[in-house]
Amino acid sequence: MAFSVLIVDDSPVMRGFIRRVMTLSGFEAGECWEASNGEEALAQLREHRVDVILTDINMPKMNGEELLRQLETDAQLRSVPALVISTDATKDRILRMISLGAEGYITKPFTPEALREELERILGEPHA
Amino acid sequence: MPEGLEQSAIAERDVDLKVIDRVSNEVLETMFFTEAIATGCDHSWFSTAVTARIAFAGSHAGEFLLSVSREAARAIASGFLGLAEEETTENDCGQVILELSNILCGAVLSNRWPESRLSLATPELGGCGCANEGALHRCFTLPVGALALTICAADAAVSRG
Repeated sequence: MAFSVLIVDDSPVMRGFIRRVMTLSGFEAGECWEASNGEEALAQLREHRVDVILTDINMPKMNGEELLRQLETDAQLRSVPALVISTDATKDRILRMISLGAEGYITKPFTPEALREELERILGEPHA
Repeated sequence: MPEGLEQSAIAERDVDLKVIDRVSNEVLETMFFTEAIATGCDHSWFSTAVTARIAFAGSHAGEFLLSVSREAARAIASGFLGLAEEETTENDCGQVILELSNILCGAVLSNRWPESRLSLATPELGGCGCANEGALHRCFTLPVGALALTICAADAAVSRG
């Protein structure tokens, strides 16, 4: 089964890298949407069915923290799991994002295997 | 500076440099498919380098600078983007070096101070990577070209050295 993914990061090269890493890891995303901040992410989520959100934290307009807050208050979007991918490895930040509803947290740098394992854990099945 | 304090400052600086060495290698190998070897400073390439800077604030404050020689920037960008070097544009190089600086800055600072609360500004291209006196600075040799990291702290915690 192919899952649809929304990648939220203000860096276009990082969004491209995540797409490539998903492919390298053997994870076949069915449809892959992109957004450069939380606002764009919410618009994409209202337009498309998404199985998992991969989001950065530091972004202009609406950052990853605010995106998670908005998801929690939206009855339709609350169930979409979010995996945070960030450079920030401080305990405070990780705990804060988990408390806001993130299903997982990966720190950069990350390997393709680490991303795949987290996606499998969140989506609940091994992926071919 | 009293002798005891001076030795303590030297010891902490060694810890800072070890964190920079370990984290830089981890970042470059894992996501940029290259390796880095810490080396003595030779800044002859700085005048043509691609330099990115990031201000950070919170429990520690200052500026993080990353300078990458032109040939290293192209090799790193092509590896990160999965493109051949001849397909990699100047804009690609700039965008990838911004991302590399963001990852290195976040990884170095949060590994050095895991209990801290930090916020990083958006990385910007430009400026010079020259180390001011008192900054924490490290040069690396890559398979192609060179790279230098500098952390200029506004607080005492990283301003030694």
